[in-house]
Parts: sequence; C-alpha cells; structure tokens
Amino acid sequence: MIRSHDDLRSLYRAMLALGAAGLLILVLGLAVFLRFAPLGQRTGLAARVTGVYAYDPGRRTITGPPRARFPRTQPFAARVRWAALPGGMAVGATWYDSLQEPAGGVGPAPAARLSAGDGLVPERIPPGLHGNLPGTYTLLVLRYADGRPVEILARTTVVVERGP
Amino acid sequence: MIEQAAYKRRWRPTRYWLAALIGGALFGVLVASSALSIALDSVPHRASLFGLPAIGLMAVATVFGLRAFRDRKPGVRGRDLMVAAVLFGLGICSWLLVLDVFTFTQAAGPGAAALSALACLPTTAFGLLVVRRLDRNEKEPWRLVLVAAVWGAIVATSLVIWAEALWDEQLGARLVPGPALDASSAFSAGVFEELAKGVAVVLLYLAMRDEFDDVVDGIVYGAAVGFGYNFMESITYMTHLYAVYRPESASLALASAAGQWYQRQVLGLFLGHATYTALVGAGVGVARQLPRLPQRLLAIASGFVVAIAAHFAWDAWAQFFPVSPTSPLAVAEIHLRILVMVGPFTAALLLILAMGLRVEGAALTRQLELEAEAGSGAVLPAEVPVLISPWRRLGVRVAAMARGGPVAYSRLARLQTAQIHLAMERWHRERQETDTPPAAEEALRRQVLELRAATAL
Repeated sequence: MIRSHDDLRSLYRAMLALGAAGLLILVLGLAVFLRFAPLGQRTGLAARVTGVYAYDPGRRTITGPPRARFPRTQPFAARVRWAALPGGMAVGATWYDSLQEPAGGVGPAPAARLSAGDGLVPERIPPGLHGNLPGTYTLLVLRYADGRPVEILARTTVVVERGP
Repeated sequence: MIEQAAYKRRWRPTRYWLAALIGGALFGVLVASSALSIALDSVPHRASLFGLPAIGLMAVATVFGLRAFRDRKPGVRGRDLMVAAVLFGLGICSWLLVLDVFTFTQAAGPGAAALSALACLPTTAFGLLVVRRLDRNEKEPWRLVLVAAVWGAIVATSLVIWAEALWDEQLGARLVPGPALDASSAFSAGVFEELAKGVAVVLLYLAMRDEFDDVVDGIVYGAAVGFGYNFMESITYMTHLYAVYRPESASLALASAAGQWYQRQVLGLFLGHATYTALVGAGVGVARQLPRLPQRLLAIASGFVVAIAAHFAWDAWAQFFPVSPTSPLAVAEIHLRILVMVGPFTAALLLILAMGLRVEGAALTRQLELEAEAGSGAVLPAEVPVLISPWRRLGVRVAAMARGGPVAYSRLARLQTAQIHLAMERWHRERQETDTPPAAEEALRRQVLELRAATAL
C-alpha cells in the first residue's frame, strides 16, 4: 500500500475530465465530417478535362496546344466535356490557386447548359495582383446537390512558373 | 554525481527497453521517409552534399559503438555507448534538418529562410525561458529542454510530413472543398502532429525518469516540444508565402511573411502548439505518479486525446469565425478568434499546472521538514522556509553574492538545487514510484553535505 499525503486524485480526475471533453470534440468533428461528406454520394460518373490552354480573356478564346506549365502573366483555361454528363445534373468547375483559394470557375448549372457554351473554365488572376501566384493550380469539376458540392467528377493540375 | 547515484545498477528496467523499442520504430519510419524523399526526388541532390556532416557523425558513432561492444570493462563500455548514442542522435538530427530546410524552404531561397529563422529564434527562446521558469521548485536541465525543442523542430516535423501527405492523397483528394475537407485535414493534423510531438514526452518519461518528476515537468517538456515544432512550422509558412508573393512584389512578400510571424510567433506562441503538446505532457506527468498501470495508460491517453481535440478544433473550425481583411475590426477579430478557440484549452492547462505546483510544493515542504527533523545536516530547520519559496531562495543567493561574489552565489545555488533534488527523491521513494536503489538517496545526501562544506569555505 502506498502511503500518500498528496492529493493526486484531483489531478487525475481533472485529466480524465479533459480527456472526456476532448473525446466529445472529436466525436462532434466526426459528426460534422459525416454531415458534409455523407456515405453513398458517389455516382461513379467522371467528367473529362480535355486539356488546359493559354487563354485570351479579351477574346474569350484559347490558343495553342494543351500545356501543363504557364508563365505567371499568361492566363489559362481548362476545357471540360460537359456533354458527357447527364444534362440535368448540376455541375460546376472551380480553379484553386497555390494557396488553395478559389481562383475562378463556372457553375453550378445543369450540365446541358454548360455544354451549350464553349466548355471553357478560365482561371482568374487574384484581384490587385499583376499575375497568377506561382505554384500548383488545381481544377476541380464538381457535382452539386441542394446547392452544395458533393462529389468530385474530375481533377487536373497545372504549374504556374515563378518569374516576372 | 546525481546521475551516477541514480543509475548505479548495471541492469536497466523495462521502461528502457520500451523506450528503445519506440526509438527503433521511429528510426524505421524516418529511414522510410528519407528513402521516399529520394525516390520521389523532392529533395535536390545538393542535399546529399550538405548531409555529409551527418554521415560523418554516423560514422564516428559506429566506431564508438563497435568499440563499446569489443570492450569488456563496463565503465568504458558504458561511456562509449553513450558517446555513440549522442553522436548517432546528432547525425540523425542534422540529416533531418537538411531535409527539412530543403523540403520546406527551398522555394524562398536560403536568404529568406535564414531571415525567417532569425526572426523566430528570439520569440521561441522567450517561450522556452518562460515555460522553464514555470517549474519554480526544480527547473528542468537546459539540455533536456533543448532536446525536447529540437525534437519538435526537426524530428516531429519529419515524422508528420509523409503521414499528412499520404492522408491527403488517400482521403483529402476525394473530398469536395468545405467543412468535410476541413475536418479531414484537421483530423490529420491533430492526430499525426500530436502523436509525433507527444512521443518525445513519452520517451523522456521512459528514459529520463530522474528528471521527470511530476505533472509540472510534463507540461514544461511538452511545451518545449511545441515551441520547437512551432519554430519550424513558422519558418515553413513564412518562406512559403514569401516565395508565392515575391514575384508580385517584395513589399507584399515581406508583409505576408511578417503577418505569419505575428500570428504564429506572437499570437500563437503560447496559444497553439505549446498548449497542445503541454496537454500531452500533463497527461504523461500525471501518469508518472499514478500507482496502477491502467490509471497511467488512461492519464496518458487523456492527455493525447485532449491535445488532438484542441488542435483539431482550431484547424477545423477557425473558419466559423471568418475574418474579413477589409473589415476595420479585422485585427481585433484575429486576436479574439484565437483567444476564444485556443484560450479555453490554455486556461485548462494553467489550471492543471497550478494544481501540480500546489501538490509539488506541499510535498517538498513536508519532505524538507522530515529531512531537517532527521538531523542528517543536509537540510537545516531554518532553511526549510527558504527552500520552499523561490523568491526567498533568490534572496539568500543575492545576499551571498553581496558577501562573496558570483562564486558564492553559484555555490549556494548548487546547494539549494541539490537539497531540492534530495527532497524530490524522498518524495518519490515515499510514494514507491522510483526504481533507483536506496543508496541513491544516501549519495544525494552526501552530495548535499559536500556542497554545504564547499559553501562554508
């Protein structure tokens, strides 16, 4: 039997209480995760990004062959084959810059309406800047339900080069 | 001398084997991580050149290790093994530092990385100083506090980088942007980062039991690991933002890096990684004094769970308190957000610390009184009220300096430290929570008497 004149029980109980509070927070986090990423949302559909091209924002056209790298000052746009998706499906596409901030996109709208256009998803130079941020840009093609994105249908990346 | 007294036995308790097992497993993970770095070509070849000193240290460690196994004399063998272990540890750390520097800062260049490190050094040192002073009765040795910080900065960051990358690739890549992705990333950061940092506290608890007395020590070591991690993470974010904005304009790049420095090294210095890992340390520290294994495991698990939860809550739910950069109240909102979200965890930690200090203070008072009553001369009755008060200890040291200069101050400080060590040893022995032989206590007593004799000269 340990002779003890110390009140370590209160410390032990305080730690257990903190652990229980922590567990509650993590369970709450799991609930949030499942609320916004519920199981059974996958349709198995996939969109097709045919390429990423240099883009002329004034004329709203692409030029040259598809590329994987762009200079900072060169705007670019992806071309998506929206026609391959069910026409009534709500879809959209968003570019994310190297800081994972949204950097332009289209939709959400029915796939049929987007396929009636040019199918281009241009990125947008961040306001106040002269060029794109260097690093990896990611395009996500998303399916929407109840106004919220619920499934990734396609993903592609390009690199914006460092430089003037 | 204290270490010799505490480790007279040639055999090593089970906890050393457990520590060695954990260390071996971590080494395996780090080797795999290093191999992946080379396989995926994310580290430039010049890293190999800068890694040469690390290889040199490993080579010398191997020589000492081999000599230790060849030598039959236990004293020489022990010394050689210790040198080999220290050199091996230094080699690992320097190699990981090379990997970290190139992985995290290569885009910004060595100048920006060095400036960022210089900017973070004083704040990190300030944090370590403050936290070490929290242990007002028996301060932890600087060598262990710095080892903890270096672990956080170099080893823990290296451990998490691949785990988080794999998690993102396997799960994060399938999630749409929004709360679910935020929660997923926050789970990844909370679990992997707190495990990688917390394992340092567990290793100190297993391997350095004589310098790991109670919950206060656990909080100090945990916070030190957190400061180290925060140091490297701050440099990573500062250099990353600098590299991203530098092509646009130098002033924008500097402002972004300075903003990160303020958020992580001023606002988040205590309210961030230091708090999270100190919570792990609190759990391990409470476990240090619990009699039964299930209780110890439960206390350690509680520390890890609350640390992971605190980290998770900040990472996942910070966006619930959005701060608009154009708002006139943006600066106030940034401060309020961190206070509201991390403040409660820091307050809970401070409460645990206060409870720990109270228990420790009461125990030391009692043990010092018992030692004084025993009449060994190691502690005199008149010294007890002085030894239990940090301010009165300082007062008599200053008075000694006024009489005999810095040498007298230093001698008295050593005497006071040894007396408190003795009281701590008595406390742990009374609670049957030490595996050192009874001779260790007598050796400490002799040491106090020798120091007293030296102080009287």
